[in-house]
Amino acid sequence: MTVSTNQGPPGGALDRGGAGSSLADVVETVLDKGVVIDAQVSVNVVGIQLLEINARITVASIETYLRFAQAVDRFDITPEHQAGLPDLVGGVAGALDEGGAVSGVGGTVGALGGAVRDVVGGLGPGDQDRDQHQDRDQHRDRDQHRDRDRHRDRDRHRDRDRPRRRRDEER
Amino acid sequence: MAQETGLFIYGIVPSDVEPTPDAAGVGDPPGEVSAIRHGELAALVSEVSLTEPIGRPADLSAYQELVDGTAAVAPVLPVRFGTVVTGPDAVADLLDAHHDRFAAALDEFEGRIQYTVHGRYDEAKLIGAVLAGDPAAAELAEQVRGHEEAATRAQRIRLGEIISQAVELRREAENRQLVDALGPLVVASAPRAPSNEMDAANAAFLVDQDREDEFVAAVEEYAEQRRELIRTRLLGPLAPYDFVSAHQLTG
Repeated sequence: MTVSTNQGPPGGALDRGGAGSSLADVVETVLDKGVVIDAQVSVNVVGIQLLEINARITVASIETYLRFAQAVDRFDITPEHQAGLPDLVGGVAGALDEGGAVSGVGGTVGALGGAVRDVVGGLGPGDQDRDQHQDRDQHRDRDQHRDRDRHRDRDRHRDRDRPRRRRDEER
Repeated sequence: MAQETGLFIYGIVPSDVEPTPDAAGVGDPPGEVSAIRHGELAALVSEVSLTEPIGRPADLSAYQELVDGTAAVAPVLPVRFGTVVTGPDAVADLLDAHHDRFAAALDEFEGRIQYTVHGRYDEAKLIGAVLAGDPAAAELAEQVRGHEEAATRAQRIRLGEIISQAVELRREAENRQLVDALGPLVVASAPRAPSNEMDAANAAFLVDQDREDEFVAAVEEYAEQRRELIRTRLLGPLAPYDFVSAHQLTG
Protein backbone atom coordinates (compact mmCIF):
# COMPACT_ATOMS: atom_id res chain seq x y z
CA MET A 1 0.00 0.00 0.00
CA THR A 2 1.45 3.32 -0.98
CA VAL A 3 -0.82 5.50 1.11
CA SER A 4 -0.85 5.06 4.82
CA THR A 5 -1.33 8.48 6.35
CA ASN A 6 -3.97 11.16 6.11
CA GLN A 7 -1.91 13.20 3.75
CA GLY A 8 -0.48 10.44 1.67
CA PRO A 9 3.18 10.20 0.82
CA PRO A 10 4.99 13.36 -0.20
CA GLY A 11 3.91 14.20 -3.71
CA GLY A 12 1.14 11.61 -3.65
CA ALA A 13 -1.85 12.38 -5.81
CA LEU A 14 -4.47 11.15 -3.39
CA ASP A 15 -5.73 13.11 -0.39
CA ARG A 16 -6.99 11.04 2.46
CA GLY A 17 -9.88 12.53 4.39
CA GLY A 18 -9.46 11.27 7.90
CA ALA A 19 -10.72 12.29 11.26
CA GLY A 20 -10.03 15.91 10.44
CA SER A 21 -12.43 16.08 7.54
CA SER A 22 -14.24 19.34 7.05
CA LEU A 23 -17.81 20.19 7.91
CA ALA A 24 -18.62 20.12 4.22
CA ASP A 25 -17.43 16.52 4.10
CA VAL A 26 -19.47 15.61 7.14
CA VAL A 27 -22.60 17.18 5.72
CA GLU A 28 -22.10 15.49 2.38
CA THR A 29 -21.39 12.14 3.92
CA VAL A 30 -24.21 11.83 6.41
CA LEU A 31 -27.02 14.12 5.34
CA ASP A 32 -30.07 12.36 3.95
CA LYS A 33 -28.42 8.99 4.38
CA GLY A 34 -29.24 6.12 6.66
CA VAL A 35 -32.18 4.02 7.66
CA VAL A 36 -35.48 5.87 7.75
CA ILE A 37 -37.91 4.88 10.44
CA ASP A 38 -41.17 3.77 8.94
CA ALA A 39 -44.75 4.67 9.60
CA GLN A 40 -45.34 1.74 11.92
CA VAL A 41 -43.01 3.17 14.50
CA SER A 42 -43.34 6.82 13.61
CA VAL A 43 -45.99 7.46 16.23
CA ASN A 44 -43.06 7.34 18.59
CA VAL A 45 -40.80 9.52 16.49
CA VAL A 46 -40.46 12.88 18.13
CA GLY A 47 -40.75 16.03 16.10
CA ILE A 48 -37.42 17.44 17.08
CA GLN A 49 -36.37 20.77 15.72
CA LEU A 50 -33.54 20.33 13.26
CA LEU A 51 -31.44 23.31 12.40
CA GLU A 52 -31.36 24.08 8.75
CA ILE A 53 -28.34 22.42 7.24
CA ASN A 54 -27.04 23.78 4.02
CA ALA A 55 -25.29 21.57 1.55
CA ARG A 56 -23.89 22.69 -1.72
CA ILE A 57 -25.30 21.31 -4.89
CA THR A 58 -24.62 21.86 -8.50
CA VAL A 59 -27.12 24.18 -10.06
CA ALA A 60 -26.59 25.11 -13.65
CA SER A 61 -27.70 28.71 -13.71
CA ILE A 62 -26.94 32.04 -15.27
CA GLU A 63 -24.83 32.83 -12.23
CA THR A 64 -22.80 29.68 -12.81
CA TYR A 65 -22.31 30.56 -16.47
CA LEU A 66 -21.16 34.07 -15.63
CA ARG A 67 -18.81 32.72 -13.02
CA PHE A 68 -17.24 30.34 -15.53
CA ALA A 69 -16.79 33.24 -17.92
CA GLN A 70 -15.14 35.24 -15.16
CA ALA A 71 -12.80 32.33 -14.60
CA VAL A 72 -11.71 32.62 -18.20
CA ASP A 73 -10.58 36.16 -17.38
CA ARG A 74 -9.20 35.35 -13.98
CA PHE A 75 -6.93 32.54 -14.98
CA ASP A 76 -5.99 34.08 -18.31
CA ILE A 77 -6.77 30.71 -19.74
CA THR A 78 -5.79 30.13 -23.29
CA PRO A 79 -5.90 26.90 -25.22
CA GLU A 80 -2.17 27.13 -25.87
CA HIS A 81 -1.53 26.37 -22.22
CA GLN A 82 -3.01 22.96 -22.65
CA ALA A 83 -0.38 21.29 -24.79
CA GLY A 84 0.42 18.90 -21.96
CA LEU A 85 -3.05 17.43 -21.87
CA PRO A 86 -3.52 15.75 -25.22
CA ASP A 87 -6.08 13.31 -23.94
CA LEU A 88 -8.35 16.11 -22.87
CA VAL A 89 -8.45 18.18 -25.99
CA GLY A 90 -10.39 15.71 -28.07
CA GLY A 91 -13.57 17.40 -27.03
CA VAL A 92 -16.74 16.12 -25.61
CA ALA A 93 -17.20 13.18 -27.91
CA GLY A 94 -13.83 11.80 -26.94
CA ALA A 95 -14.61 12.08 -23.28
CA LEU A 96 -17.80 10.14 -23.80
CA ASP A 97 -16.15 7.39 -25.77
CA GLU A 98 -13.58 6.87 -23.10
CA GLY A 99 -16.30 6.22 -20.59
CA GLY A 100 -16.90 2.78 -21.97
CA ALA A 101 -19.56 0.47 -20.73
CA VAL A 102 -20.48 0.04 -17.12
CA SER A 103 -20.40 -3.59 -16.27
CA GLY A 104 -20.67 -6.06 -13.51
CA VAL A 105 -20.83 -3.84 -10.48
CA GLY A 106 -24.43 -3.96 -9.47
CA GLY A 107 -27.66 -2.29 -10.35
CA THR A 108 -26.93 1.06 -8.81
CA VAL A 109 -24.27 1.81 -11.34
CA GLY A 110 -26.61 1.99 -14.26
CA ALA A 111 -28.35 4.96 -12.76
CA LEU A 112 -25.18 6.97 -12.41
CA GLY A 113 -25.49 9.26 -15.37
CA GLY A 114 -29.15 9.78 -14.79
CA ALA A 115 -28.70 10.60 -11.15
CA VAL A 116 -26.06 13.18 -11.91
CA ARG A 117 -28.22 14.75 -14.56
CA ASP A 118 -31.19 14.93 -12.26
CA VAL A 119 -29.29 16.81 -9.67
CA VAL A 120 -27.66 19.15 -12.10
CA GLY A 121 -30.80 20.00 -13.94
CA GLY A 122 -33.58 19.44 -11.49
CA LEU A 123 -33.01 21.63 -8.50
CA GLY A 124 -33.82 25.24 -8.90
CA PRO A 125 -34.23 27.65 -6.03
CA GLY A 126 -37.91 26.81 -5.79
CA ASP A 127 -37.51 23.11 -5.53
CA GLN A 128 -38.74 21.05 -2.66
CA ASP A 129 -35.36 19.95 -1.47
CA ARG A 130 -33.95 23.39 -1.11
CA ASP A 131 -34.02 23.45 2.66
CA GLN A 132 -31.27 20.95 2.80
CA HIS A 133 -29.57 21.68 -0.44
CA GLN A 134 -29.24 25.38 -0.78
CA ASP A 135 -26.20 26.50 -2.53
CA ARG A 136 -23.88 27.70 0.16
CA ASP A 137 -22.60 30.61 -1.81
CA GLN A 138 -25.59 31.80 -3.70
CA HIS A 139 -28.03 31.56 -0.85
CA ARG A 140 -25.82 32.62 1.97
CA ASP A 141 -28.02 35.54 2.85
CA ARG A 142 -30.90 33.25 3.55
CA ASP A 143 -28.97 31.19 6.01
CA GLN A 144 -30.11 32.37 9.37
CA HIS A 145 -27.54 30.16 10.99
CA ARG A 146 -24.60 31.53 9.10
CA ASP A 147 -22.69 32.15 12.28
CA ARG A 148 -22.30 28.44 12.63
CA ASP A 149 -19.95 28.39 9.69
CA ARG A 150 -17.53 30.68 11.41
CA HIS A 151 -17.41 28.40 14.39
CA ARG A 152 -17.41 25.21 12.48
CA ASP A 153 -14.20 23.91 13.95
CA ARG A 154 -14.72 25.10 17.46
CA ASP A 155 -16.37 22.01 18.86
CA ARG A 156 -15.02 19.43 16.56
CA HIS A 157 -12.11 17.97 18.38
CA ARG A 158 -13.67 16.53 21.43
CA ASP A 159 -12.03 13.37 22.58
CA ARG A 160 -14.21 10.50 21.73
CA ASP A 161 -13.50 6.87 21.89
CA ARG A 162 -14.93 4.22 19.68
CA PRO A 163 -17.49 1.78 20.84
CA ARG A 164 -15.95 -1.55 21.61
CA ARG A 165 -17.19 -4.87 20.66
CA ARG A 166 -17.29 -7.57 23.25
CA ARG A 167 -16.49 -10.15 20.65
CA ASP A 168 -13.18 -8.45 19.93
CA GLU A 169 -12.17 -8.29 23.55
CA GLU A 170 -12.88 -11.94 24.12
CA ARG A 171 -10.59 -13.03 21.37
CA MET B 1 -47.39 18.06 29.81
CA ALA B 2 -45.16 17.91 26.80
CA GLN B 3 -42.24 15.54 26.84
CA GLU B 4 -38.92 17.31 27.23
CA THR B 5 -36.40 14.67 26.26
CA GLY B 6 -36.19 12.02 23.58
CA LEU B 7 -33.75 9.38 22.41
CA PHE B 8 -31.58 10.19 19.43
CA ILE B 9 -30.81 7.02 17.46
CA TYR B 10 -27.39 6.81 15.80
CA GLY B 11 -27.39 3.35 14.35
CA ILE B 12 -28.32 -0.27 14.67
CA VAL B 13 -25.62 -2.77 15.55
CA PRO B 14 -25.25 -6.38 16.67
CA SER B 15 -26.17 -6.82 20.32
CA ASP B 16 -22.57 -7.50 21.36
CA VAL B 17 -21.54 -3.92 20.61
CA GLU B 18 -21.31 -1.58 23.52
CA PRO B 19 -20.30 2.06 23.61
CA THR B 20 -17.28 3.06 25.64
CA PRO B 21 -18.09 5.16 28.70
CA ASP B 22 -16.63 8.29 27.15
CA ALA B 23 -18.42 8.01 23.80
CA ALA B 24 -19.98 11.43 23.27
CA GLY B 25 -23.23 12.04 21.46
CA VAL B 26 -25.06 15.00 20.01
CA GLY B 27 -26.26 17.93 22.08
CA ASP B 28 -24.61 20.47 24.32
CA PRO B 29 -23.33 19.13 26.62
CA PRO B 30 -22.79 15.95 24.58
CA GLY B 31 -25.19 13.18 25.45
CA GLU B 32 -24.03 9.93 26.97
CA VAL B 33 -24.28 7.14 24.43
CA SER B 34 -25.80 3.85 25.46
CA ALA B 35 -27.02 0.68 23.76
CA ILE B 36 -30.59 -0.57 23.93
CA ARG B 37 -30.63 -4.30 23.17
CA HIS B 38 -33.33 -6.47 21.71
CA GLY B 39 -32.64 -9.98 20.48
CA GLU B 40 -29.54 -10.03 18.30
CA LEU B 41 -29.71 -6.27 17.83
CA ALA B 42 -28.86 -3.11 19.68
CA ALA B 43 -29.49 0.54 18.94
CA LEU B 44 -26.93 3.18 19.88
CA VAL B 45 -28.81 6.09 21.43
CA SER B 46 -28.38 9.14 23.61
CA GLU B 47 -30.83 11.38 25.37
CA VAL B 48 -31.49 14.75 23.76
CA SER B 49 -33.46 17.75 24.85
CA LEU B 50 -36.52 18.39 22.74
CA THR B 51 -36.41 22.08 23.46
CA GLU B 52 -32.94 22.62 21.99
CA PRO B 53 -32.61 22.27 18.23
CA ILE B 54 -29.92 19.93 16.96
CA GLY B 55 -27.93 20.11 13.76
CA ARG B 56 -24.98 22.21 14.85
CA PRO B 57 -21.70 21.29 13.18
CA ALA B 58 -20.65 19.64 16.44
CA ASP B 59 -23.80 17.50 16.36
CA LEU B 60 -23.11 16.30 12.84
CA SER B 61 -19.49 15.57 13.69
CA ALA B 62 -20.45 13.72 16.85
CA TYR B 63 -22.94 11.61 14.90
CA GLN B 64 -20.44 10.76 12.19
CA GLU B 65 -17.57 10.05 14.57
CA LEU B 66 -19.70 7.71 16.60
CA VAL B 67 -21.18 5.88 13.61
CA ASP B 68 -17.87 5.64 11.75
CA GLY B 69 -16.02 4.65 14.90
CA THR B 70 -18.53 1.86 15.37
CA ALA B 71 -18.23 0.78 11.74
CA ALA B 72 -14.50 0.28 12.23
CA VAL B 73 -15.12 -2.48 14.77
CA ALA B 74 -18.56 -3.85 13.93
CA PRO B 75 -21.21 -3.70 11.24
CA VAL B 76 -23.60 -0.77 11.70
CA LEU B 77 -26.74 0.43 9.98
CA PRO B 78 -26.64 4.21 10.26
CA VAL B 79 -30.02 5.66 11.16
CA ARG B 80 -30.76 8.93 9.43
CA PHE B 81 -29.43 11.94 11.31
CA GLY B 82 -32.15 13.57 13.35
CA THR B 83 -34.18 10.47 14.16
CA VAL B 84 -35.46 10.90 17.70
CA VAL B 85 -38.01 8.68 19.42
CA THR B 86 -39.96 8.96 22.63
CA GLY B 87 -37.95 6.53 24.74
CA PRO B 88 -36.48 3.05 25.26
CA ASP B 89 -39.82 1.36 24.56
CA ALA B 90 -40.02 2.98 21.15
CA VAL B 91 -36.49 1.80 20.36
CA ALA B 92 -37.36 -1.74 21.42
CA ASP B 93 -40.50 -1.61 19.26
CA LEU B 94 -38.42 -0.51 16.31
CA LEU B 95 -35.89 -3.30 16.77
CA ASP B 96 -38.64 -5.84 17.34
CA ALA B 97 -40.68 -4.85 14.30
CA HIS B 98 -37.74 -5.22 11.92
CA HIS B 99 -35.50 -7.59 13.80
CA ASP B 100 -34.84 -10.11 11.04
CA ARG B 101 -34.38 -7.55 8.31
CA PHE B 102 -31.93 -5.53 10.37
CA ALA B 103 -30.06 -8.65 11.41
CA ALA B 104 -29.76 -9.81 7.80
CA ALA B 105 -28.51 -6.38 6.74
CA LEU B 106 -25.90 -6.38 9.50
CA ASP B 107 -24.72 -9.80 8.36
CA GLU B 108 -24.28 -8.36 4.91
CA PHE B 109 -22.10 -5.54 6.22
CA GLU B 110 -19.96 -7.76 8.44
CA GLY B 111 -16.33 -7.15 7.52
CA ARG B 112 -17.22 -4.47 4.99
CA ILE B 113 -16.67 -0.76 5.07
CA GLN B 114 -17.56 2.22 2.89
CA TYR B 115 -15.12 4.50 1.14
CA THR B 116 -16.12 7.57 -0.80
CA VAL B 117 -14.00 8.79 -3.69
CA HIS B 118 -14.43 12.43 -4.60
CA GLY B 119 -12.64 14.10 -7.48
CA ARG B 120 -12.68 17.78 -8.31
CA TYR B 121 -11.40 19.41 -11.45
CA ASP B 122 -8.72 22.04 -11.39
CA GLU B 123 -10.92 24.82 -12.70
CA ALA B 124 -8.30 26.65 -14.73
CA LYS B 125 -7.01 23.52 -16.39
CA LEU B 126 -10.43 22.15 -17.13
CA ILE B 127 -11.67 25.39 -18.67
CA GLY B 128 -8.47 25.58 -20.67
CA ALA B 129 -9.10 22.08 -21.97
CA VAL B 130 -12.66 22.97 -22.94
CA LEU B 131 -11.51 26.05 -24.82
CA ALA B 132 -8.81 24.05 -26.54
CA GLY B 133 -11.33 21.49 -27.70
CA ASP B 134 -14.06 23.84 -28.82
CA PRO B 135 -13.27 26.62 -31.33
CA ALA B 136 -16.62 28.31 -30.69
CA ALA B 137 -15.84 28.53 -26.99
CA ALA B 138 -12.34 29.80 -27.70
CA GLU B 139 -13.80 32.51 -29.93
CA LEU B 140 -16.27 33.55 -27.23
CA ALA B 141 -13.42 33.60 -24.72
CA GLU B 142 -11.57 36.05 -26.95
CA GLN B 143 -14.66 38.24 -27.11
CA VAL B 144 -15.16 38.46 -23.37
CA ARG B 145 -11.59 38.47 -22.14
CA GLY B 146 -10.66 41.86 -20.75
CA HIS B 147 -14.07 43.34 -21.50
CA GLU B 148 -16.57 44.49 -18.94
CA GLU B 149 -19.21 42.01 -17.93
CA ALA B 150 -22.09 44.34 -18.72
CA ALA B 151 -20.91 44.82 -22.28
CA THR B 152 -20.36 41.13 -22.96
CA ARG B 153 -23.09 39.56 -20.90
CA ALA B 154 -24.68 37.55 -23.70
CA GLN B 155 -21.33 36.12 -24.81
CA ARG B 156 -20.42 35.34 -21.22
CA ILE B 157 -23.62 33.43 -20.63
CA ARG B 158 -23.14 31.46 -23.82
CA LEU B 159 -19.51 30.73 -22.98
CA GLY B 160 -20.38 29.69 -19.44
CA GLU B 161 -23.12 27.44 -20.74
CA ILE B 162 -20.71 25.69 -23.10
CA ILE B 163 -18.25 25.18 -20.26
CA SER B 164 -20.97 23.98 -17.93
CA GLN B 165 -22.23 21.43 -20.43
CA ALA B 166 -18.72 20.22 -21.16
CA VAL B 167 -18.10 19.74 -17.44
CA GLU B 168 -21.30 17.71 -17.11
CA LEU B 169 -20.35 15.41 -19.97
CA ARG B 170 -16.84 14.94 -18.67
CA ARG B 171 -18.23 14.28 -15.20
CA GLU B 172 -20.47 11.51 -16.47
CA ALA B 173 -17.56 9.92 -18.30
CA GLU B 174 -15.28 10.36 -15.31
CA ASN B 175 -17.76 8.71 -12.97
CA ARG B 176 -18.03 5.75 -15.29
CA GLN B 177 -14.26 5.44 -15.45
CA LEU B 178 -14.00 5.60 -11.69
CA VAL B 179 -16.58 2.88 -11.18
CA ASP B 180 -15.04 0.75 -13.92
CA ALA B 181 -11.59 1.10 -12.40
CA LEU B 182 -12.63 0.15 -8.88
CA GLY B 183 -15.60 -2.10 -9.59
CA PRO B 184 -13.65 -5.37 -9.66
CA LEU B 185 -12.28 -4.65 -6.18
CA VAL B 186 -15.49 -3.81 -4.38
CA VAL B 187 -18.68 -5.46 -3.20
CA ALA B 188 -20.90 -2.67 -4.51
CA SER B 189 -20.74 0.89 -5.71
CA ALA B 190 -23.19 3.75 -5.49
CA PRO B 191 -23.13 7.09 -7.28
CA ARG B 192 -23.22 10.26 -5.24
CA ALA B 193 -24.63 13.55 -6.43
CA PRO B 194 -22.06 16.18 -7.38
CA SER B 195 -21.62 18.70 -4.60
CA ASN B 196 -19.81 21.33 -6.58
CA GLU B 197 -19.94 22.56 -10.15
CA MET B 198 -16.31 21.50 -10.53
CA ASP B 199 -16.93 17.97 -9.29
CA ALA B 200 -15.26 15.41 -11.54
CA ALA B 201 -16.37 12.21 -9.84
CA ASN B 202 -18.19 11.25 -6.69
CA ALA B 203 -19.06 7.70 -5.72
CA ALA B 204 -19.27 5.44 -2.69
CA PHE B 205 -17.80 1.94 -2.57
CA LEU B 206 -18.51 -0.93 -0.23
CA VAL B 207 -15.22 -2.70 0.35
CA ASP B 208 -14.32 -5.98 2.01
CA GLN B 209 -11.96 -5.08 4.81
CA ASP B 210 -9.50 -7.74 3.75
CA ARG B 211 -9.23 -6.03 0.36
CA GLU B 212 -8.91 -2.54 1.80
CA ASP B 213 -5.23 -2.13 0.97
CA GLU B 214 -5.77 -3.30 -2.57
CA PHE B 215 -8.68 -0.88 -2.97
CA VAL B 216 -6.74 2.09 -1.59
CA ALA B 217 -3.83 1.28 -3.89
CA ALA B 218 -6.20 1.28 -6.86
CA VAL B 219 -7.64 4.65 -5.85
CA GLU B 220 -4.11 5.95 -5.52
CA GLU B 221 -3.35 4.80 -9.03
CA TYR B 222 -6.57 6.36 -10.33
CA ALA B 223 -5.62 9.64 -8.66
CA GLU B 224 -2.07 9.49 -9.96
CA GLN B 225 -3.27 9.07 -13.53
CA ARG B 226 -5.37 12.23 -13.26
CA ARG B 227 -3.35 14.39 -10.96
CA GLU B 228 -2.79 17.11 -13.56
CA LEU B 229 -6.48 17.77 -13.94
CA ILE B 230 -8.31 16.33 -10.94
CA ARG B 231 -7.77 16.55 -7.21
CA THR B 232 -8.89 13.19 -5.89
CA ARG B 233 -9.83 12.62 -2.28
CA LEU B 234 -10.59 9.42 -0.46
CA LEU B 235 -12.96 9.58 2.51
CA GLY B 236 -13.10 6.65 4.83
CA PRO B 237 -13.33 4.13 6.22
CA LEU B 238 -16.93 5.12 6.79
CA ALA B 239 -20.14 3.45 7.91
CA PRO B 240 -22.14 2.21 4.89
CA TYR B 241 -24.22 5.38 4.59
CA ASP B 242 -24.75 4.97 0.88
CA PHE B 243 -25.63 1.29 1.00
CA VAL B 244 -28.47 1.14 3.46
CA SER B 245 -31.08 2.38 1.04
CA ALA B 246 -32.03 -1.20 0.19
CA HIS B 247 -32.84 -1.68 3.84
CA GLN B 248 -34.82 1.47 4.30
CA LEU B 249 -38.18 0.90 5.81
CA THR B 250 -40.81 2.29 3.57
CA GLY B 251 -43.65 1.42 5.85
